[in-house]
Formats: sequence, structure tokens, C-alpha cells
Amino acid sequence: MKNYIILLFSFLIIFSCQENKSNEVNIYSKRHYQVDIKQYENFEKLTGIKVNVIKAGDDELLERLKNEGKNSPADLFVTVDAGKLQKGVEMGLFQKITSDLINSNVSDDLKDVNGYWIPITYRARLLVYSNERVNISELSTYEDLANEKWKGRLLVRSSSNAYNQALMSSLYANLGENAINNWSTAVVSNFARDPKGNDRDQVKAIAAGQGDIAIVNSYYIGLLLSSEKQSEVEAGKSVSVFFPNQGDDQRGTHINISGFAMTKNAPNKENAMKLLEYLTSVEAQNTYVNNSYEYPANPMVMPSKLVQSWGSFKRDTLDLNALGIYREDAIKVFDKTGWK
Amino acid sequence: MIKQDGSKFDLKRTRFLDKVALLLFAIIFFPILFLLVISLFQKTESLKYLFENLLLDYTINTIYLIGITSFFSLILGIIPAWYISNYKFTGRRLIDLILYLPLAIPTYIMAYSYSEILSFTGPFNFTYDFLKIEVLGIILAFSLYPYIYSVSRISFSLLGSRYYDISKNLGLSGIQTLFRVVLPLSKPAIFSGLFLVIMEVLNEYGAVKYFGVNTYTIGIFRSWNSMNDTGAAIQLSSILLFIVAFLFFTEKYFNQKKRFSFLKNSKLLSLYRPEKSRLFLIYLICLVPIFLAFIVPVFFNFSNIFSNLDSIDFERLFNLTLNSFSVSLIASVFILLFSTFFLYNEKISKSKFYYYINQFISLGYSIPGAVVALAVIMFITSLDKLNDEISIFGNFYVYLLILVYAYIIRFMAVGKSPIKSSLEKHPDSYDSSAKNLGLSNFQIFKKIYFPINKYSFFTALTLVFIDLMKELPITLILRPFNFDTLATQTYEFAVEEMIPLSSIYSSVIILICCILLTTLKIFLDKSDVFRS
Repeated sequence: MKNYIILLFSFLIIFSCQENKSNEVNIYSKRHYQVDIKQYENFEKLTGIKVNVIKAGDDELLERLKNEGKNSPADLFVTVDAGKLQKGVEMGLFQKITSDLINSNVSDDLKDVNGYWIPITYRARLLVYSNERVNISELSTYEDLANEKWKGRLLVRSSSNAYNQALMSSLYANLGENAINNWSTAVVSNFARDPKGNDRDQVKAIAAGQGDIAIVNSYYIGLLLSSEKQSEVEAGKSVSVFFPNQGDDQRGTHINISGFAMTKNAPNKENAMKLLEYLTSVEAQNTYVNNSYEYPANPMVMPSKLVQSWGSFKRDTLDLNALGIYREDAIKVFDKTGWK
Repeated sequence: MIKQDGSKFDLKRTRFLDKVALLLFAIIFFPILFLLVISLFQKTESLKYLFENLLLDYTINTIYLIGITSFFSLILGIIPAWYISNYKFTGRRLIDLILYLPLAIPTYIMAYSYSEILSFTGPFNFTYDFLKIEVLGIILAFSLYPYIYSVSRISFSLLGSRYYDISKNLGLSGIQTLFRVVLPLSKPAIFSGLFLVIMEVLNEYGAVKYFGVNTYTIGIFRSWNSMNDTGAAIQLSSILLFIVAFLFFTEKYFNQKKRFSFLKNSKLLSLYRPEKSRLFLIYLICLVPIFLAFIVPVFFNFSNIFSNLDSIDFERLFNLTLNSFSVSLIASVFILLFSTFFLYNEKISKSKFYYYINQFISLGYSIPGAVVALAVIMFITSLDKLNDEISIFGNFYVYLLILVYAYIIRFMAVGKSPIKSSLEKHPDSYDSSAKNLGLSNFQIFKKIYFPINKYSFFTALTLVFIDLMKELPITLILRPFNFDTLATQTYEFAVEEMIPLSSIYSSVIILICCILLTTLKIFLDKSDVFRS
């Protein structure tokens, strides 16, 4: 039996010996957008370094990375949630990114305080409201969503969604356990329907009159408004965007970043550094904003025209690692208060 | 029918072939075993939390969803099969063919298409909220009923006319015959189809998440992705595996006791010409599933293509098609070879050794694809760590091999089932006579079993291939760098809420699978499977 295993094993080794260490950089990516393909192509043209990508769920990729251990071919890990980057740090999978250039390219409050990951873009989880049935003066904060005036009017997707989990984690970090449990209970009782669908569906539900306000990601509003389908654009136009918690004494709107981390044993570390330098540069940041509806991490770059039309806003400056640290607590709040 | 008079398995006296079988079985079964073993060594805190807070709700939802989907799959599968098997009418052969084709549409595409059609921004501007568990159950039945339809068709046709004649003489009507004579006789076949339907519902992830229906699988991913507890996910999967295995073996046990063989198709079933009044009903019953489960979603996807023609990258489309095609073909050929090898050896040797191999090797089908992928990764990397000097990772072909390996573990059950039911139909007297003539086992296979079962081999190959073309979670996790398939690309657009852009890729999956199913059907019609 043992012989057979050795036989199989040597077979695999023969395969792997053909490996050629060339000029490349390997990414495990949760992001799978058209703009990324464009970025990597541009980088390859500029430097001759080929970018190889595997795209899958972030938890699955972290697990793959963990099991591959120091033999992993991956140099970089990228995802759309600081919480998952923090999870990877906790699993001991990453090394610090020390480049001054990269660090100076991005806004300070978006960066990891421990230096393990680098943001490239960010999104806001904001409110949209029916132009017909809601007056903007009724809106103020996330906390206010617990108000009885929203009974039967609030729409949001399920608690299995990573964006909602990040929002709940941020609220948990900001408000503490007791307040958040009360808040979540009240919010659940305000739901217009059971949580379901994606972010776009929440907007469509407002257009269909199933509810009046919804918690959604800025990115998807951009997608909806630029849809090829006229009916979707119209649904998007039936609502307006509102950034909660903007008052002088308030903390700002919850945001989450897309960010890169470098694996502990990155075999192509130099190339990986070059890629991060490129992706945070003004040139690449402009590519991001012109091809998607994300906000740029580089403060020298302005978001797309459509995104700018919603106005500027104050970001919640909570250490984004909290989105991972409080994740499990946040899930328990969802479960305890019946947020499906 | 399985006979278990078998001799005891003794490692020392085994033939070379048995050793090969044991090795092969070990390779295929190890990751599952590995998963079961490590699940014993995980912390139980999260599991306890899940049991106390969520699992009851999740289990009720799962059973309810399985109930709805099974009910509608049975209705949509059995009744058209009954009419197609018994009546002659214009367009019968074409309707028969199209009734199989929803199998070509992945469940997640069916679900996304319908939720788009039924949404406010869809063609009918519905203001009603259709995202409900009942609606999901019916939509899943649309893409799963062909499992019931296909087994019913074969079973009804095999019964032959003797039973129909007797029940007619006893004064039973057509429907009475169906419920009192034909269905009880077809129970084992229909159950095998229903088993596949239930497995598919259990493992559904994308659509249930979208509809906000918390099933057991959602629980597995919730502990893995949200609670950051891979251990709990492994434990939950192991529990699922035990439940499925328990149900599977209990059903076997009871059916074995009750199992009675029916007289084989002594006389061909003659088709009736229905009266005019009934003809309308027949068309209605057969065309409703065709319209809802095939024409609507296909039309939806094709119309999306035409409104996004300028954004299609044909070179990429071609490459992805090639990727999907080649990796599915390689894995399905392996699965066909292995299933045939194990099943034929069971048939010919009648030993319990092969009987158990064949039972256990199907278990991979009962756990979610993502967990199979996780088990494979853990298993392979633990092998890799035995040797620190050289790593097997990083190479494109190694990952491709691992991907195919995981496919085999997960989809053996799909390949086995048509071959098994075909082999079981032939009496054991064939091989004893052949043995008396001095033929070796391989010669018996080549000269007797291959020719008489070739249609079932082709069926197995096609069904596995179609499942692999649609496969998503394993491919996502285990694929090599820069390796996309039609399914992964469809998923990437769909999950980013850009369904129209995903349609070209899903349509190619549907198209290829439809062509294969049509070819298969034409082949089968030529064979004696349907006898009509």
C-alpha cells in the first residue's frame, strides 16, 4: 500500500518539476471584476511581469493558502472585505508590506494599522430611499433605522451576506453589545419582508413599492444606474442615495475596503511589490474609478462622475480590522435577534 | 438485484485485479475518510452554538424545501412520462426529447433567470415579492424533474403490456393502472431518481442563499465563512454524510426485503391513440413543463445575449468552452472507467468486497462540492507535507489533476447509477454460461456485457459530463491559475448582479448539454431501452 502512495507521490513530483520560475506574480483573488483583468494586462505591458490569478471565495482561498503552507505558489491575496484580511492575518498567512511608496499612495485611515494589508478601493454601505414616499429629513443615522417610523418599510439582504456582516461588526465595535442587540431587534421588527435577494433587489423592491428604504452597497447602485436595461435604470432613479451618520458629532458612514495582503512565503515578492505600487498609483487608481463604481484608496484620485454626483461624505474612521475581530459577535447578534 | 452469497474477502488470496480495485477505492475514498476522521478532532463549541440556535430552523427549512421540490419533480416527471409511454400523438417524439432538456440548465441559472423574470424590472413588472421558499422549491423542480422523468420513462416502458392488459381486464382505468399497478412496480426506479433530486436540493447553495432560505448547507457555510470555524463546517458535513448514508442504506434494506422482480417486457407496449378530448389534456400536461422549465429560461438567456452582443469576447468564450469541455470530458471518462470496473467486478465475482466498495464510493455525492474540495486540499497537502524538499504545488497540471480527482470523488454516484441498473437487468446465467465456454472475465465483458450495456455506458458518460459542465464550487476552489470555465464565468457575473452578461456563458453550457442529451436520446431510441 505504502509503495503505491509513494508511486503516486513521485508521479506528482515529476509533474511539478516542470515548473518554470519565470517573471510572474500569483494572486488568489476574491475579486473577479472586468476592471481587474484590465489592470493586470496594463501592468504586464508596463513591466513584462505576468499576473496569474485564481478566483474563488475568500474563505476558501484562505483555507487553500493555509493548507498549502509555505509551498503555496500564491504571492498576494485580495478580497473585498477588511474583515477577511484580518482573518488571514490571524491565521498567520501574511507578511507585513513595508514599502514607503505604497504606503504613501493610499489614505491613512484606510490602511491597516499593523501594516499587513493595503487598500486599493473602498465602498460605502449606505441608505437608499424612495423619492416618492420618504422625505430626506426623515433620514439621519444607522441607529435611527431602529425607529418605529420605519416599521414595515425597511429592506435589506440576508445576514449570510458579507457586507451586512461587516456593517454589523462595525456597529458592534462602535456601540457595544447591549446597544447593538436592542438595535438589531428593533431593526428586524421594521423589516418590510424577510431578508433575501442581492443589493440590486432591495432597490427594485423599493421601486415595486414593497418597502421605502434599503441598506445597500454604493457599488451596486452604480451598477444599477448604468445598467443596459432601461427598467433597471428607472428603478435606480426612483430612489436617492443617503450617507448616514454625517452630523458633526457623528462618526461617519460605514465603509469597507478592497485590499491586498502579501503571503508569508511569497515566492515572487519583488514582483508582488511592483504590482501593489502600480495598483495604488494615480494611473491605476483612475482605471479603477473609470471602470467600476468604487471609491479610490489614493486621495489624489477622484471617483467616477456618477459616484461624485452623490456628493462627498465623511467616512467612519473605525480601525477596519474591527470588521474581522467582531465578526463572530456580529453573527451571534444576527442569530439572537432573528435577522435571517 | 444484488446477491450477497459472496465469499469472504481475504487479502492474502486476492487476485491482482482485486488489489488494483482496493488501491483505486482507497485513493477515491481517502479524502472522505480523512474528513470523517478529522471531524472527530475538532472543537465542538461552534457546533453546539449552531445546534442550540439555528439548526432546528435550518433543518425544517431543508425538509420543507426538499418536500416541495420532490413533490413538483414527481408531478412534472411521472405524469408526462406516463402519457408519453402510452399514447401516440403528433409531436410525441419531439416532446419526449424536450422533456429531458431542462437537465441542461444548471439550477442556479434557472433560479437567477426566474428571479429576474419575476422581478419588478422583469418583462411583467411584478410588484409581488416572489422570492419565497415555495417559489424556489418549484423553480428547483423545473431543473430537477428530468431525473424523475427519465427513470419513469425507462421503467414504464420496461414493464411491457402484460400488466396493462391484466389491469384493463380487471376494469381499471388508465389513471388507476398508473397508481395501483405501474407506480408500485416502478418504485425502486423512481426512488433512485428522487434520491438524486434530494441530493441536488441538499447541496444547493447559490439559489437558496439568494432566496434567503436558510438550509442545512447554508449552515455549513455559515460556520465556515461567517463564524470562521472550518472545523464546524467539517463536522456538519460529516453529520450530513451520515444522515444520507443512513437513509440510503435503510431504503436499500427495506426495498431488498420487499423487492420483487416483475416479468420482463414480454410483449411490446402498444401505444394508444387518445380521443380528441383527452388529447388536449395530454398536450397540456406535457407542454407545461416544457414551457416553464425549458422555453422560458432558454428564451430569457438567449434574449440577453442579443441585447449584449457587442460586449461578447468570442476568443475568451472559445477558450472557456474548451476548458469546460476538456476537464469535464477527462473526468467523466475516468468516472465511467472506474464505475464500470467496480460494478462489473461486483457483478462477475458476487463478492461482498465489491458490493461494499460500490456502496461507499457513492458517498462523496452526499456532501457539498466545496467541502469535497476542502477535504481534497487537506488530504493532498497533508501528503505534500510528508516531503518537505519538493512541493507539488504551483504547477498547472498538478492542480488540474487535483481538480479531476475531486470531480471523481464527488460524481462517482452519478456515473454508477445508469450502469448499475443496466447490469442488474441481465440474469447471472449469462456469465456462468460464458465461463463454461472458457471465456475470461475480460472477454466476457468485451463480448457480452459491453455490447448489451453500451447504451448505459453512453448514458453514464453523458450524465456525468453534463453535471461537470455545470459544476461550480469544486472548480472555483481547486482550479489552477488563470483557469476559467463557462460555469465559473457565469457565476462571476451573476454574483456581481450582472446576469445579462453571464447569459452568453450559461447559454453555451445549455447548448452543449442539449446537444449531448439529444444525441443520447437518439441513441437510446435506437436501442431497446424504450421499446416504443
